[in-house]
Amino acid sequence: MADKVLIENLFVKFEGEQGNIQALEDISFSVKEGEFLTILGPSGCGKSTLIRSIAGFQKPEKGRILLGKRQVHEPGPDRIMVFQEFDQLFPWKTVKSNITYALKVNGKGKEERERMAAHYLEMVNLQDFGGAFPHQLSGGMKQRAAIARSLALNPEILLMDEPFGSLDAQTRAVLQSELVRLWQKVGSTIIFITHNIQEAILLGDRVMVMSSAPGRIKDIVDVNIARPRLPETPEFMALWHTLYGLLETKRFGENGKNNTMPGKD
Amino acid sequence: MPILKKVTENKILRQAFFIAILLGVWQYIVSTGNYSELILPNLRSIWTALVDSISTGEMGERTAYSLYLIGKALAIGSGLALILTALAMLSPLFADFVKTITTIFNPLPGVALLPIALLWFGIGENSILLILVHSIIWPLILNATTGFRSVSRTQLEVGRNLGLRGLKLVSSVMVPSAFPYILTGFKISWSNSWRSLVAAEMIFGASGGQGGLGWLIYQKRFFLQTPYVFAALFVIILIGILVENVIFAQIEKWTIQRWGMIIQKEK
Ligand SMILES: Nc1ncnc2c1ncn2[C@@H]1O[C@H](COP(=O)(O)OP(=O)(O)OP(=O)(O)O)[C@@H](O)[C@H]1O
Ligand SMILES: [Mg+2]
Repeated sequence: MADKVLIENLFVKFEGEQGNIQALEDISFSVKEGEFLTILGPSGCGKSTLIRSIAGFQKPEKGRILLGKRQVHEPGPDRIMVFQEFDQLFPWKTVKSNITYALKVNGKGKEERERMAAHYLEMVNLQDFGGAFPHQLSGGMKQRAAIARSLALNPEILLMDEPFGSLDAQTRAVLQSELVRLWQKVGSTIIFITHNIQEAILLGDRVMVMSSAPGRIKDIVDVNIARPRLPETPEFMALWHTLYGLLETKRFGENGKNNTMPGKD
Repeated sequence: MPILKKVTENKILRQAFFIAILLGVWQYIVSTGNYSELILPNLRSIWTALVDSISTGEMGERTAYSLYLIGKALAIGSGLALILTALAMLSPLFADFVKTITTIFNPLPGVALLPIALLWFGIGENSILLILVHSIIWPLILNATTGFRSVSRTQLEVGRNLGLRGLKLVSSVMVPSAFPYILTGFKISWSNSWRSLVAAEMIFGASGGQGGLGWLIYQKRFFLQTPYVFAALFVIILIGILVENVIFAQIEKWTIQRWGMIIQKEK
């Protein structure tokens, strides 16, 4: 299939008082239409910077990002982002109106808005909290509501920055399989950041591993395992160790606790 | 004592209790007979004056006129503040300009503009309006600007991600997000302008037979009807309390408290 996202020699630099940070250095890769790419990398290696650049929030220093033939200059609803931050819901709207409002801005009719909001709230198990305001939810509940909002919008490209990072193992497992099911149904292109090796293998068609300071692509690994994938299988375990090794060789420490052995998470 | 306990526990009862003490002290000083009725009137005469000025319609008319002036000034002032703040957000150069004039004019008390207002507009409604708009516009601009600058980056980006741009982004994301600051701006504007209004009216007097509460006070003092002066002061205090502790408090409860933007007030 055709390239949906093409990134060519992307550099991003932050200039600060304590000197400059080369957040991304010479990043080039492509994502095919309908592909699910997961990104792994140590904290601070530039994963958020990369996904924010694709979303159009971060101006590159050099290089370009192409969506088909079109170059990214600004954000748009064709690339909906689930942010890593917990304050991405509008606090002045209820959980449900956060979703219906987003749909309304994107031209959906009243009836459809209501139906979609109810459907996706149920998917993330927040059906009883539609009338609550964001400040009344826990961190993980807020993330789930934001996930529901992004899924309801059904964008061509879904950009997810550690969306399941703050969820318990059960909820995470449910949402992982829901996301895969939905992706298989509607065929959107997904770029998904995670700290969790198992999650990266479970979800991705390919896993991109990054290294830090400066942020570079270490390797991109194909996941040739039939879905649904089971962590207990030998091929899964083998890939897990490959990725673990890729991450470990350089500046890997603080993320170790997130990555338990397969089958134990 | 159960009654004393009840009084100390309930906020409204507690305040009523303090007011009762103050009134008692007042009445006691009057009853010593050391002061003339013209200086310190009996509470009963003040009450009679209040009832009388209400029943003749004088108090209502004066109050209505004062509220009309302040309402008009609030409309003009917030409209101007909105335009200036919006333009400042579009152009950095204009932002510098707005910042400069705000820095210059904000510290200037409204009443200090009186001579200028007189020169420009003569005695009348327009002069008072100039002073009121002046005392409304700067705190509003100052707070709205701070509010817009403190809007959460993530929420702004969510708005842009959804496809909101320009004015739509401002009205749908920036204004609600900056609402705690905007509300504070309105509170300061109200209290500034309400105080300036009374002062200005006393100095300007009435124009064409019209005048507000400040004018009423001035007039009654002139005719040595002291109880009426106190009755007008009472109405001014009452309106102040009503707006600041009832109307603004209620708006706060419906908006930023419900949205979890400020910590819930204790009882
Ligand atoms: N707005 C910014 N200003 C200055 N430096 C920044 C900014 N955003 C990110 N950085 C720097 O860029 C580097 C990459 O940050 P980024 O947020 O992309 O990391 P990350 O891989 O998403 O980390 P994590 O897994 O912890 O979320 C870090 O060194 C960070 O300090
Ligand atoms: Mg990040």
